[in-house]
Amino acid sequence: MMSTPKTCMEIKNITKRFQGVVAVNDVSLEIKEGEIFSFLGPSGCGKTTLLRLVAGLEIIDQGDILIHEEIVNNLPPYKRDCSTVFQQLALFPHMKVFDNIAYGLVERKVSKDEIKERVFEKIELVNLSGLEDRYPHQLSGGQKQRVALARSLVLEPAILLLDEPLAALDRKLRKEMQVELKRIQREVGTTFLNVTHDQKEALSLSDRIAIMSAGKLIQIGTPTEIYEKPKTRFVASFMGASNIFHGKAISQKGEMFELKMEGGGTIYVPAPEDSEMNDISGFTIHPEMIEITPDLTGIESNDPLEETVFLGTVKEVFYQGDYSELSITLDNSDMVISTFLTRKEMLDSVVENQKVAVSWKSSFSNAFSD
Amino acid sequence: MNWEKMVTKLLNTVIGIFYIFLWTPLIIVIVFSFSTHKYGSKWEGFTTKWYGKLIANEAVQDALIRSLIIAVITMIAATIIGTITAYGLYKFQFKGKPFLRTSILLPLVFPSVITGAALLVFFTRILHIPLGYPSIIIAHIVFCSPLAVFIILGRMQRMDWTLEEASMDLGATRFKTFKRVTLPVLLPGIMASAMLIFPWSFDDFVITYFVAGVGSTTLPIYVYSQLRFGTSPILNTIATLFVVVTIIGFFASHFFQKLDIRK
Repeated sequence: MMSTPKTCMEIKNITKRFQGVVAVNDVSLEIKEGEIFSFLGPSGCGKTTLLRLVAGLEIIDQGDILIHEEIVNNLPPYKRDCSTVFQQLALFPHMKVFDNIAYGLVERKVSKDEIKERVFEKIELVNLSGLEDRYPHQLSGGQKQRVALARSLVLEPAILLLDEPLAALDRKLRKEMQVELKRIQREVGTTFLNVTHDQKEALSLSDRIAIMSAGKLIQIGTPTEIYEKPKTRFVASFMGASNIFHGKAISQKGEMFELKMEGGGTIYVPAPEDSEMNDISGFTIHPEMIEITPDLTGIESNDPLEETVFLGTVKEVFYQGDYSELSITLDNSDMVISTFLTRKEMLDSVVENQKVAVSWKSSFSNAFSD
Repeated sequence: MNWEKMVTKLLNTVIGIFYIFLWTPLIIVIVFSFSTHKYGSKWEGFTTKWYGKLIANEAVQDALIRSLIIAVITMIAATIIGTITAYGLYKFQFKGKPFLRTSILLPLVFPSVITGAALLVFFTRILHIPLGYPSIIIAHIVFCSPLAVFIILGRMQRMDWTLEEASMDLGATRFKTFKRVTLPVLLPGIMASAMLIFPWSFDDFVITYFVAGVGSTTLPIYVYSQLRFGTSPILNTIATLFVVVTIIGFFASHFFQKLDIRK
């Protein structure tokens, strides 16, 4: 039998202002024990400020922060049961790797033997064995990253806060570290709170994601929910959706809404949970869910509730090597559909100005509100 | 001839002449301190006897010890005061901060005659501080602290202050953080200041002359008092001492500043 995971941390109606500008606007959420939770959003959306408020490096103006059900609002950082991995890493340059990692334990007056045991355990965990006598300036970027991680983990905090930990790494290293981070988290089981602006990183790393914009919380969900069912146009656009169309819901048939598109025509989209017809302002369809057929026969007889089909002309083909991006103008409409075909699918059979049929299963599209 | 080559040659010559004017008097004095000539103004033969006479001279011993004591105390006090001042100026926001920050430089920029005279009036008429060790040391701290503030402020601009946040995040209070993280990281800058302040205080003549009062002779004041007797080889040896102390201090300071950047 699966028991509901405990709450590790709770944020209730947090607001923070800097000189009149609202950086965090009435944000509330709950983070479960043992999960990897990410704050995702563009620069300036308030995610880093929120992290710093949890850490105690900034003081909240309104609201409550609870760690393991204890209110920590007025506690200084050195009294809170959380530990931060900073974006700049902030390794102490005058201390060896061992002493850096041991810093918090020394502060807690842990015995020398225990310190040795715990530090070496973490050094092994993050794959830094053999480097404990080096100084930070003698380490590579990835190695410094691991030291910062070990330094925070050795204190066994209730929650580990990561401020864009992979932002300074190059692409290959970033991918490696993502895998490492997940492995380490699963091994120690500590709750991770991760701040990032990188959508792909959030999707691959997180158990749940909270999307933020201009200080407000927009949507919380699993990576699948966030990517496949964005609730607002902002979330869809931020997650990289390229087929965003505006329209109004005019009727409902079963679990589908009928949308009248701004560009012309009507289509059926699944009605999102907790949404009224009046909320809807448009829909998206992901390029990878679209089918292109150069053969236009037999497409007239389709049930629009099951399958959405349009006729169009290929406007442009962008060759990218392993795949090609296609831009298709629909007949009788202003809409331009973006999709792609892998090299295997292309095989030179789709060219510019060719007439094609564009189709997708109606349940694959996603309606959003604003 | 190429116009550019000519200008380069000209500039090199100017710089060469500059350095000659800078170093020749010092080199001459150092060389003549080893000359057997009675008045130390010509080269006659090699000897170290003047250095022997210097050490034996009681008046010189007295002045040297006084200068050393003052320089050491000033070095410690001015470095500490300068560090704390720099910390406050860097970290805290308060009204009039830009003004305070610029006015720190005043003791360095004012003509020393004015500073000396002003301090004398301040000590005798307003504060009633006895002339001698107290007045000299206070005066030295006044014009040496800005040096420390300057160097350490510069170091602070380059410091990564997230180190303090990381330290507190890991469980250390503000005080512990200063002790375990901030101070060690600032140490090269603090040492660089100290290495510069020592010769700055040791070599000082003008301000010291004003506030020393009767009977408190520092080494520079002793040299001045001997000049009316004409040149003497002992003055050459003392001058050499000043040059050596200053150069060592300067290079030590430079070494500490370099230590910094490498990290």
